[in-house]
Amino acid sequence: MLIGYWGVPPRHVIDRYRRKHPFDEFVDLDLDLSAPPSGLVPDAFCQIITNIVDNAVHLRDDLRLIIGAVGEDKCDGGRFAALILEDLGFEVIETRNPATERKPISICTTDMPLAEKINRITHSVVVRNRKRFKWVEPTHGFWGVPPHDFELLSLFPSTTHVYGWTRCVEAEVPADLSLELEVDAHVPTVFYAQSFCAKNALAKHLAEKYHGLYIDCDGPVTNSVLAKVAAFIKLR
Amino acid sequence: MPMPTIIADCGSSWSKIRNLDVNEVLIVPTRQVLADESIRFDVATGHLARSRTDRYENELVALAQGSLKLVQEDDFTVVDIGSRDTKFVRFTNRKLDKLDWNQACGATTGFTLELLGKYYDVDYGKLPVSDQRLPVTCGVFAIERIFDSIIQGDSAQEALAAFVHGVAFNVHTFAQKPDRLYVSGGLCANRCFLDSLWKYCEVIPLGREVLLEGLY
Repeated sequence: MLIGYWGVPPRHVIDRYRRKHPFDEFVDLDLDLSAPPSGLVPDAFCQIITNIVDNAVHLRDDLRLIIGAVGEDKCDGGRFAALILEDLGFEVIETRNPATERKPISICTTDMPLAEKINRITHSVVVRNRKRFKWVEPTHGFWGVPPHDFELLSLFPSTTHVYGWTRCVEAEVPADLSLELEVDAHVPTVFYAQSFCAKNALAKHLAEKYHGLYIDCDGPVTNSVLAKVAAFIKLR
Repeated sequence: MPMPTIIADCGSSWSKIRNLDVNEVLIVPTRQVLADESIRFDVATGHLARSRTDRYENELVALAQGSLKLVQEDDFTVVDIGSRDTKFVRFTNRKLDKLDWNQACGATTGFTLELLGKYYDVDYGKLPVSDQRLPVTCGVFAIERIFDSIIQGDSAQEALAAFVHGVAFNVHTFAQKPDRLYVSGGLCANRCFLDSLWKYCEVIPLGREVLLEGLY
């Protein structure tokens, strides 16, 4: 069976269900798992929350339960997704993760393709990363959440540092707004948010403040967004 | 890298093709380029040229590089208005400071201008600037507003001039409201547009070949 989850549930909750169902596999419902549209959320809506609902409905027969982040560490969308799925009969374990003790980070700041960095960080929600990676001088920055479409990440050099909520995930403090706001002012940074997400306000504000590039994307990344990022990386 | 011979900027409506050997520029409808699969370029920009060129350059990079060749100031902003979209680059101390590419909101305004100009047989070179400004969200909404305006008794000329004013206002806002704005693209030949833009800033047209300049 599968145990679905979204966001960054507290580690003790993940561990409790792993012990209880040792042969179950954890599946991150935030990701694009190619589920067909369920039609349960509006068309103009955050693609990540849409993924959560669509994936859960698609995997319904295999899902034993879902562990869903509904606190400040996620968003209202997570809270509402939990309500919708509970209404549909899913067992949803609602979690809030107010952790404030920052664990050391190293994936965000190492020399590694950006998509691999973000994959490792999202994977660390279920299996803690114990490897320490060597720090590299940043040439560029990527601020934001793991995007729906990873093609965007292929444009960045491997010396790109990761900031924003994704860094909070590696540090195991997903509700730590002050860490989310931290960037290196001298590093040319792309500030990314998923369309229709409240984090767009932060991304735009920080991009203005640090002379970065603000972008948002809905589903698949568009040519104009790819061109903006490519030009920014080449010319800055 | 060897010097290219044939370079092109293939926009959604028009393709600008330069032969560097004789330094001639040909401007043809892009549909003609698409129809003739034998046409190839050494270096090109524009999504439609991607499969027709040995080396492809991103349009924003071409705009930025071309702007740096054509403008000698330290701090300046260039906006390129195409048929389908609008792009801008801003330099501070001749280093790229800000860029954007507006493809969704504000889309197809250039194309709409050309389409309606032909439909109503309006010469933008002679069209007086309007003090009225139609709100222009995108080409489709603009057409609706223009038709509404004509139904309410405005002439096609008045409605189009107000639309042009709306486009100029949006372009200035999109380019972050500079005091001086360099303009690239086909609208450099649209006097009504340039004069409307003058209501908001100093305007310096650069012509249609800025992206070509950025390719070599």
